[in-house]
Amino acid sequence: MREGLLVILFLIALTSLCDTINQLFLKSAIDSLNFKPTFNIIKILRFIFSLLIKPRLWLGFIFSVISLCIWLLVLSKADLNFAFSADSMHYIFIAFASWLILKEKFTPLRWLGTGLIVTGIVLVSLS
Amino acid sequence: MFKKKVTLRILLLLIASDMLETTVHFFFKKSVLANAKFNVVDLASAAVFLKAVFSSPFLWLGLATVVMVFIIWSTILSKIDLSVAVPVASFSYILVPLVSIIFLGEKVSILRWAGILLVLAGVILVSLSSKERMAQIR
Repeated sequence: MREGLLVILFLIALTSLCDTINQLFLKSAIDSLNFKPTFNIIKILRFIFSLLIKPRLWLGFIFSVISLCIWLLVLSKADLNFAFSADSMHYIFIAFASWLILKEKFTPLRWLGTGLIVTGIVLVSLS
Repeated sequence: MFKKKVTLRILLLLIASDMLETTVHFFFKKSVLANAKFNVVDLASAAVFLKAVFSSPFLWLGLATVVMVFIIWSTILSKIDLSVAVPVASFSYILVPLVSIIFLGEKVSILRWAGILLVLAGVILVSLSSKERMAQIR
């Protein structure tokens, strides 16, 4: 198990990374449409349609399929309760990606939260 | 345009999304357990394993539940702020281990529960920080 643990953590990191890439593509596709929240059904349907013809959305979709495949491999090798908690490392990747790529600002509260998630994953992996 | 107050209807939707989210992971784990005979060691054996898993009804039940969670979650987010929704929705971090213990016979040690609670606290703080940021934008 010990030696297998590193492989599993690596695979979980990989699925989290694919998830993050999917989120970035999705966010970039949505942002490019400049959509304002509305309750107008026709505007919402038009928004969904123009989103569906964005190649970026489908690039993201490919990554989410890869992510699902790796996730199934992880579940075949690890307990569900461990894998589920460890998968929260996507919060860390998304935090850094939105900081580096989307240039979003980090508040101290977000640093603290991200730190707690890291500590939690370490504890979950040690046990 | 977002309300901060969680009404009973939204709370019920949040509880439903928590439970369905947990169900998704239960179904995925079940689809894998049904194919436990495969020993994945390389890419070729991984492909054979995945092909078998994708023909399991549990996997498709899981994917159908993903769609339901997505629809419920979109409804919730059209009514309340993300920073309010995420902490309530994060209870799947506790529900998933409970389901793992009861239905899958997994063991969860005290140390692991401590780690799970830290992750949960972190997720709540991260989502609260999005509220802080929205306030800065306004």
